[in-house]
Amino acid sequence: MSSKDPIDSIASGVTKGVLDWSTDLVKSLAKKFRDRKLAFIQDNETIKLVREQYNSGELNFYKIYIVDKDLLFLVKLGLTLRKLEENLERRTNLRNKIFKKYELRGLHIAQFVENGILSRYTAILIDNLISIEDLKKKIANTLNDIEKYALFVQAKESDRAVIELARTKVFANSPDIFVISGISPASEIVKRCEVTITKLLTDYELERFSSGHKENLFYKRILK
Amino acid sequence: MELISLKNVTKNTKIMLLKELGYDSDGEFVLDGQGKKVLDKYLEIPVSVNNMVILPGSTLILDDNELSLSKYLEEFGDVF
Repeated sequence: MSSKDPIDSIASGVTKGVLDWSTDLVKSLAKKFRDRKLAFIQDNETIKLVREQYNSGELNFYKIYIVDKDLLFLVKLGLTLRKLEENLERRTNLRNKIFKKYELRGLHIAQFVENGILSRYTAILIDNLISIEDLKKKIANTLNDIEKYALFVQAKESDRAVIELARTKVFANSPDIFVISGISPASEIVKRCEVTITKLLTDYELERFSSGHKENLFYKRILK
Repeated sequence: MELISLKNVTKNTKIMLLKELGYDSDGEFVLDGQGKKVLDKYLEIPVSVNNMVILPGSTLILDDNELSLSKYLEEFGDVF
């Protein structure tokens, strides 16, 4: 494939290696940019990934139930993190950026989506649906107060600390649903703690939701 | 809209492009017309020449990362 137009060559990816553009080419590209005919990017994959999440079916589903724009944006970032599962460097970079801008709460909301928890959590809420408005309110409450409803286990934590933290959070907040989540090395900690935590949370029944290297435990309050 | 990758473009070329668009560089970061570091609008971090994207919307220069680009799409729609 070849092209006589240098702009066409650049856009179609014909030109390889390190590029030095001529002054005329730079002026021509700048003019096209000002005419809003082109944009300068780094990596096509990043734009593609972001656009996919922008138009994804899962996001459109959440748009029905999540009204708050900031929460919805964090949901979108969670979906993006999930897509970056195989790219550790970019995933870590995005996690750091989320943490810097939205602090731990924002990162945990994104993680709640990344780990597939929000979809299962919503399904459990739908099982006991009173009204759409009630569902919206419960999802918003959960995301806004994520630390009351979820425990994200880190690989450096001891089993004892995880068990104590789970117990404290549940007894202090009495959530209808409480989630304990771990990825990769942390998933092993979650597995090891499951029996002890289940014995402690006598007012709850356990639903396990695992996939690959993720371990999510859903404790659902039992009506007595 | 055509998407032109800057990934394999020399730093000198990138700086030439920045100057053509009314910006500058200290060799590492993007500078505005007054010589101040340009901050990514959404993350408020300095944008490096090696990791910049230049997008329509009053010539927006951002850091190349999924968060900033997602925010850009939120604000300007899917212009790509």
